[in-house]
Amino acid sequence: MDYVNDLVTILPELVLVGLLLTIITADLFMPRSAKWMLTPLTVIGLLIAGVACVVVWDTNRAVYSGFYVVDDLSVFLKGATIVTGIFTTLFAPAYLSVRRIPLGEFNLVLVSALIGMCVLASSSDLITLFLGLELMTMPSYVLTGLHKTDRYSNEGALKYFLLGSFASAILLFGISWTFGLTGTTNIGEIATAVGGQMSGGLLVAIGFLTVGATFKIAAVPFHYWTPDAYQGAPTPITGFLSVGPKIGAFALLIRIFAEALAPLRADWLSVFLVLAVLTMTLGNVVALTQVNVKRMLAYSSIAHTGYIMAGLAAFANAGDQRVAQQGIQSVLFYLLGYAVMNIAAFAVVAMLQRDTRRFGGLNSFSGLASRAPGRAAAMGILMLSLTGIPPTVGFFAKLYVLLATVEAGLAWLAIIIVLNAAMAAFYYLRVIVYMYMRDPEDDPAPLERSPAGSIALVLAVVAVIALGIFPGAILGVLEVSAASLF
Amino acid sequence: MDGLPILSLIVFTPVIGVLVLLFVPGHAHRLIRVIALATALVSFGLSLTLLGFNTDGAEFQFREDLAWISAFGMRYTLGVDGISAPLVLLTTLLSCVAIYYSWGPIQLRVKEYYAAMLLLMVGMLGVFVALDLFLFYVFWEISLFPMYLIIGIWGGPRRVYATVKFVLYTLAGSLLMLVAILAVAIAHASAGNDFTFSYETLRGFGYADSLQALAFVAFFLAFAIKVPMWPFHTWLPDAHVEAPTAGSIILAGVLLKLGGYGFLRYNIPLLPDASVSFAPIIIGLAVVAIIYGAMVAMVQPDMKKLVAYSSVSHMGFVMLGAFVFNEQGLQGAVYQMISHGITTGALFLLVGVIYEQTHDRQIAHMGGLNARVPRFAAVFGLFTFASIGLPGLSGFVGEFLVILGAFRYNGFVAAATMLVVIISAVYMLWMFQRVFFTVPSDWMRRWWPALRDLDRAEWTALAPLIFLVVALGVYPGPVLEMIAAPVDRIIEAVNGAGMTGLGPLW
Repeated sequence: MDYVNDLVTILPELVLVGLLLTIITADLFMPRSAKWMLTPLTVIGLLIAGVACVVVWDTNRAVYSGFYVVDDLSVFLKGATIVTGIFTTLFAPAYLSVRRIPLGEFNLVLVSALIGMCVLASSSDLITLFLGLELMTMPSYVLTGLHKTDRYSNEGALKYFLLGSFASAILLFGISWTFGLTGTTNIGEIATAVGGQMSGGLLVAIGFLTVGATFKIAAVPFHYWTPDAYQGAPTPITGFLSVGPKIGAFALLIRIFAEALAPLRADWLSVFLVLAVLTMTLGNVVALTQVNVKRMLAYSSIAHTGYIMAGLAAFANAGDQRVAQQGIQSVLFYLLGYAVMNIAAFAVVAMLQRDTRRFGGLNSFSGLASRAPGRAAAMGILMLSLTGIPPTVGFFAKLYVLLATVEAGLAWLAIIIVLNAAMAAFYYLRVIVYMYMRDPEDDPAPLERSPAGSIALVLAVVAVIALGIFPGAILGVLEVSAASLF
Repeated sequence: MDGLPILSLIVFTPVIGVLVLLFVPGHAHRLIRVIALATALVSFGLSLTLLGFNTDGAEFQFREDLAWISAFGMRYTLGVDGISAPLVLLTTLLSCVAIYYSWGPIQLRVKEYYAAMLLLMVGMLGVFVALDLFLFYVFWEISLFPMYLIIGIWGGPRRVYATVKFVLYTLAGSLLMLVAILAVAIAHASAGNDFTFSYETLRGFGYADSLQALAFVAFFLAFAIKVPMWPFHTWLPDAHVEAPTAGSIILAGVLLKLGGYGFLRYNIPLLPDASVSFAPIIIGLAVVAIIYGAMVAMVQPDMKKLVAYSSVSHMGFVMLGAFVFNEQGLQGAVYQMISHGITTGALFLLVGVIYEQTHDRQIAHMGGLNARVPRFAAVFGLFTFASIGLPGLSGFVGEFLVILGAFRYNGFVAAATMLVVIISAVYMLWMFQRVFFTVPSDWMRRWWPALRDLDRAEWTALAPLIFLVVALGVYPGPVLEMIAAPVDRIIEAVNGAGMTGLGPLW
């Protein structure tokens, strides 16, 4: 019976694999005119996977000889993954169909990336961790290059692939050092084996792990692939890439640094502090000068990575367990909030790119308020949320990180964060300036109208405001999730 | 009370208005205006119940208290004391005036405009009634963005520059304040108390000197930029010149008061030791602001810019009164805020009236208007005198009390500010003379036939302000009585306070 029980604990993954097979089969036999049904099919499958997450909530046990752990932290991350999946599935079709990018392939690759993220979230062993990471990033490379006839898409995919595999190799090297020094790949056992004792070998291991992992979250100075990959990828996919793999990569960071290397946190803290400050500052400074909205959002996503890293730093610097948990919770909240608002922001950019020759320049937003008041208002709210203005989820996410950092005794970091947020306000608000305070171009970009996209946009904006006013609704879940680390 | 959440109703009535506006077609201008005005009037009507404030009663009345984000002890706590109650009334009244006056000037994107105005009301009212630091911060930020849109969309030619400057200045200050709020709450919690953002609990807690000093600087920056205090005032003239008339009324009438209110409500009672130690610096800055604002106002060629710089000077009086820490000074500061809101709001409205007709505000282009529009001139004169501080009008009471308070603090400070009262007479009267009495300029002659005196709508908008400026001038008793108790509490809070490390700096 254990066998069945084990299967139940990985129900979300099983549902996703089932969905994957269904999509392949359906795509093969569906007539061209019925392909649009792949979207509702995928959404329904993802919703079922979401329900499965609810089912496995509160399982909290390791399965498959300790290679896989289904704790509440992993279930929360899976839930967040599935939310990003649903939004991406709804936003993408309209953009893809004008460019003749096959919907079946897109859904297929997207779902496999989601499976990778789920595996990553649940790994309790460095082997499964690496497996999940590759299962997530491989489809991400494909997604970036999905627009086969577009050379920017090709360029982005190639850069992403080359640098990504390079980073994977470095990470793998770090993993092998860790194994060599501790004699185990199990995360819990590594923590015990390390036991707070720093050594030269461990320093090398941590160095490689840090470089590999921060590559994946696109932290400065390992961020160079980000703007090109993000700009080249089809816009709704960029939205996904900017948050989905980020959730996955932070799951990786939490598992490696906050779990396996937790005893050594005093040692990796300083590196993370430096990287966090560099990442947020450089991301914002460069974003200031961008005139292409996709690139601007790409650099801003680097800046947001910096804020999330500050949450991890708060964990590492915490004096007691409650404060440390606060740090992890702030990371989780930020990831979820950022996922919703950023996917939706990219979706609005995509809606202005119905004309395939447009590349999302700031000009395409000129006078949007008079052409499409609803979407302009949505984009305005999303920009305010990304800036961190109440009452939006972006504000509370930033507040949570600030709270965690100040509580952990890193008030100076909090001050750097808010100064960065003030700087970021300039470029986010510039979008509002274009939308509301300028006249439309003479030859405005035609707007894309898709019911699925509109519904998803409304949902995202409502979620952004509702979570901003009543964040308490998910704080309880967060607390339980983060507690499973301690 | 009768259990009705009256403050919530006042604050959130405009939200209902915005929701209704969402379902009104954008071209139905008349309907939109009626709905917006009706909403503001309902909010104003509800706020009149605050006149029932019991001056001998509890410190905070009309309280509401609900759990909000319990994980961090953030609560939805509202309440007014003798300082905030009159400011709430001022806000609802000026909002009604501004919305009513916008009837003519605003013809573009009418629906968005009134939605922004109503949302602005929510933010401003929320700031005055919030008794939870976190809730206060949320409202503080909410009050920022509608004004950003109002200046940026319906403003003058350099509106984008002005509004971006306005918003970035304010945001930079307020974000630092957020860190300070968190630091204060965490310091309180780490002493073994429950996590709370409640104002009533957090004040009076003996924070460490270093924290007080840093938190004071953060709060100070947020509020000083809003007031605006010299040298953080540079956004103000730009914002005023570009803002539409109604925007200027609200900006000068209420938004600047948010800063003054912040000092009185948060800086001083929350961080009394730092307040006492930093007071000499702030008094110094206030005196500079008073003198500098007046001097710069004297040479302004643009009527709106002149009134804007006079605001810098007048708000300097508020700061001066607040930080001399005696009864006269503090009462004068609060009174000056109320009076300045009415006077300057009215002056901006009057400048707007002339601008609507001539599309110009250059003083050199005016002249001789008294002959053509005598009633307009009379009303303008009334508010000019109120702004100078003529006895019998509201401006006198506040300035007089502040100077009295300053005398008790230091004779030289008082003497310097006294001089400025004369300078303010110079710039206001000089402007009045050049606009209304000299011979009309050639430029003005072109508009001469088209000029009209105040119409009924303008009279309606001005009537309550005229009434108040006189009433508050001749009979300040009730308001002073209202603000007496909270002022005493502030003095009590700073009594004997001071940072041991720095000591009093004088």
